[in-house]
Amino acid sequence: MYQYDTIDKEFLADRAAEFKQQVERRLAGEITEDQFKMLRLRNGLYLQLHAYMLRVAIPYGSLNATQLRKLADIGRRYDKGYGHFTTRTNLQFHWIKLREAPAILEELATVDLHAIQTSGNCIRNVTSDPYAGATAEEIDDPRVWSEAIRQWSMLHPEFSHLPRKFKFAVTAAPKDRTAARVHDIGLVVRRARDGTMGFEVIVGGGMGRTPYVGPTIKEFLPANRLFSYLDATLRVYNRHGRRDNAYKARIKILVAALGAEEFRRQVEEEWEKVGPGADMPDTEIARIRAAFSVKAFDTLVNRSEAFETAKAADPAFARFARNNLKPHKRPGYTIVEISLKGIGDTPGDATSDQMDAVADLGERYGQNDIRITHEQNLVLPHVKLDDAHAVFQGLAAAGLATPNINLISDIIACPGLDYCALANARAIPIAQDIAHRFADQDRAELVGELKIKISGCINACGHHHVGHIGILGVDKKGEEFYQLTLGGSGAEDAEVGKMLGPALPADRVTDAIDTIVEVYLRERADGERFLDTFRRTGVAPFKEAVYAEAH
Amino acid sequence: MKALTANRLDDGEVVFWNKGAWVERFADAELFADDATGEAAEGQGKSQPNTVIDVYLIDLIESEGLWAPLSFRERIRALGPLNHPTHGKQAEGGAAIEALRHAAGASRSTGRVNLIKRK
Amino acid sequence: MPKLIRIEDGQFVSADDPFTHVADDEGMPPGDVIISLTRFSAEGDALISQGRAVGVRIEPDEEVEALAYDLPKLAVVAVAFPKYRDGRGFSTSHLLRQRFGFKGEVRAVGEVLREEANFLTRCGCDSFETADGSSPEQWAHAANRHRHVYQRASDGRIPAFTERAES
Repeated sequence: MYQYDTIDKEFLADRAAEFKQQVERRLAGEITEDQFKMLRLRNGLYLQLHAYMLRVAIPYGSLNATQLRKLADIGRRYDKGYGHFTTRTNLQFHWIKLREAPAILEELATVDLHAIQTSGNCIRNVTSDPYAGATAEEIDDPRVWSEAIRQWSMLHPEFSHLPRKFKFAVTAAPKDRTAARVHDIGLVVRRARDGTMGFEVIVGGGMGRTPYVGPTIKEFLPANRLFSYLDATLRVYNRHGRRDNAYKARIKILVAALGAEEFRRQVEEEWEKVGPGADMPDTEIARIRAAFSVKAFDTLVNRSEAFETAKAADPAFARFARNNLKPHKRPGYTIVEISLKGIGDTPGDATSDQMDAVADLGERYGQNDIRITHEQNLVLPHVKLDDAHAVFQGLAAAGLATPNINLISDIIACPGLDYCALANARAIPIAQDIAHRFADQDRAELVGELKIKISGCINACGHHHVGHIGILGVDKKGEEFYQLTLGGSGAEDAEVGKMLGPALPADRVTDAIDTIVEVYLRERADGERFLDTFRRTGVAPFKEAVYAEAH
Repeated sequence: MKALTANRLDDGEVVFWNKGAWVERFADAELFADDATGEAAEGQGKSQPNTVIDVYLIDLIESEGLWAPLSFRERIRALGPLNHPTHGKQAEGGAAIEALRHAAGASRSTGRVNLIKRK
Repeated sequence: MPKLIRIEDGQFVSADDPFTHVADDEGMPPGDVIISLTRFSAEGDALISQGRAVGVRIEPDEEVEALAYDLPKLAVVAVAFPKYRDGRGFSTSHLLRQRFGFKGEVRAVGEVLREEANFLTRCGCDSFETADGSSPEQWAHAANRHRHVYQRASDGRIPAFTERAES
């Protein structure tokens, strides 16, 4: 993993000190709330319904055990003993006091963590592949580029007052675990025929009020020209993105208004003028790369007798292994996904005790490497198959061994109206209700991969547009209603889901999901996932079944 | 009937106006039977930008013989997050909290627009 | 004479401001003036030929490229930040310095706040008509809070990657 050097550490300490002074000025009445709001947002501090919320950045979703323990500790001492992992792979504390926020940032800085640019109209935390460095699929380590982007974007002089927020995703595997095509910029590492490394650059994807799958603006950008190209892209956006209407200010609106072709022309023209002088030196990229390449893997064989024996003896472990373990690039290793979607729990929430438990397991069995997924789960990317059963037992003791990765109860949900000042409806109880309905793991496995994503408002933090089944909370004459969409995907086959029909009242949502699942089971051909069946049949049979019952 | 609410600047706590002071429990909020009194209090509340932020009036309805915010959003503010019944104001329990839990009405606040700007 | 904050020999100091901002519908006073791009197009050459120093105010929606040819004649470019959140002026300042090599004064005007001092300075602004009554000491403090920077920019500070390569 990348280790912060003196420069990085002093930067975070200075930033914490700066925010402390800004908070002091606000509490002393020297600056107005309007002037302060942007300052606190740039440090991830929102005012939510019940208190302030602090969104801590987890750069490209990567943590070590010390950092996770610090988050647990802050959860205990400054919050109510828990934290909420988000679809941006950040961690939110929901019960923060403004006067205590500077002390929290100081403490975070001691373990190389921060909340810089987790909100505000600036470049946000980069999303990357949670399997980076562990999957055989990848053609490069996307964390190298994510870390370089982190540094380039920190207090960027020119691009810290953009028309609207700006989100990057970087992936280097054909299977996209970052939702790259629905980010402001998605970077997919590609290799040219001659072996040169570069990026496919996707610009102007996004969710929210107007969802778009982003067009590819550049098929192949040589890797060493990344930062001049980003300068050009961001400058075109900073100068020409709309600033008159917050709902039309994202880069996707600019790209759509100009058309991908014209947007590309403007970026290329600007890029020509920027020139290679704006690129990051190869030596710096090499330095960052070296930090990620150190991994002491043992030489093992593919088959682990201990693993096979444990599976045979412990059916619960066998189920966990089926659903939560993923192939690792090294023989004898596995990637362990930890579900934060316990049946009936709040999706993405982890108690401080659970964070400590994962930190311990990661330190003992997982090379001190812990990842966060945009689907609100945790990952131990480097576990020996020999140790998998011990990890499972440790997780089970902490209430974290739910074997439902990618299954119907592995639901993304935003905090919704229970916490969020922007929400129209609750998301959490809908997720809980659906999970209870599909608590039978045999049935869930029979249904197979099915991604349900729930947002409590049109801003789409719950990624409902790209859920295989998306659920959007709306306010209908004062009541919570839910709009269903089907067939969305945030992966490499990204697509915006199609509206099923009129919104449903809260107490009809789980029944509707059940009906949709039954239609899928009836219609599916051999080996088809829900998404495949839906793409073949279209919305008609689902719509008919759900709304026939409503009459 | 209306009440005046805000969030306290230094800790974000939901507070309600009561005769010149800010109180934490909805049950202790001053109730305004007429618009003029409510608006006068709102003016006073807004003149304290270094004590509270986001000052606004909320509509109330009667529930179980007690007053409750009309909008569901405001009831959640007066209670706490419903997924954690022991978190926030609802933790103390009692008749006033129960009345809030059982009230029915709009999920949205009245008179609040452009929430994207709030944060 | 009104005062502004200016960078002189690397220090933030309080300086006299000899310029008068003149709106499009105002009469032209004597002395050094800062006028709009529109007015400059019409009257700029005549004013300069009178021997006075002339500055141009660039609004966020105006393209600094329109001024490229005239820059050598200008004493000041005033970059307008009508709202501190409107970041187009940062690109304007950056381009003035980096693309057009403008060596004159780049002045931040509008809602110019101390907490933005770091960004403004880094993008090449070297004078500031502050909206919050900051003293030069307060301004300097806010601009210099960070010992390190990660990007090349117009203030010439050494970015982290260069610091590392040289250590």
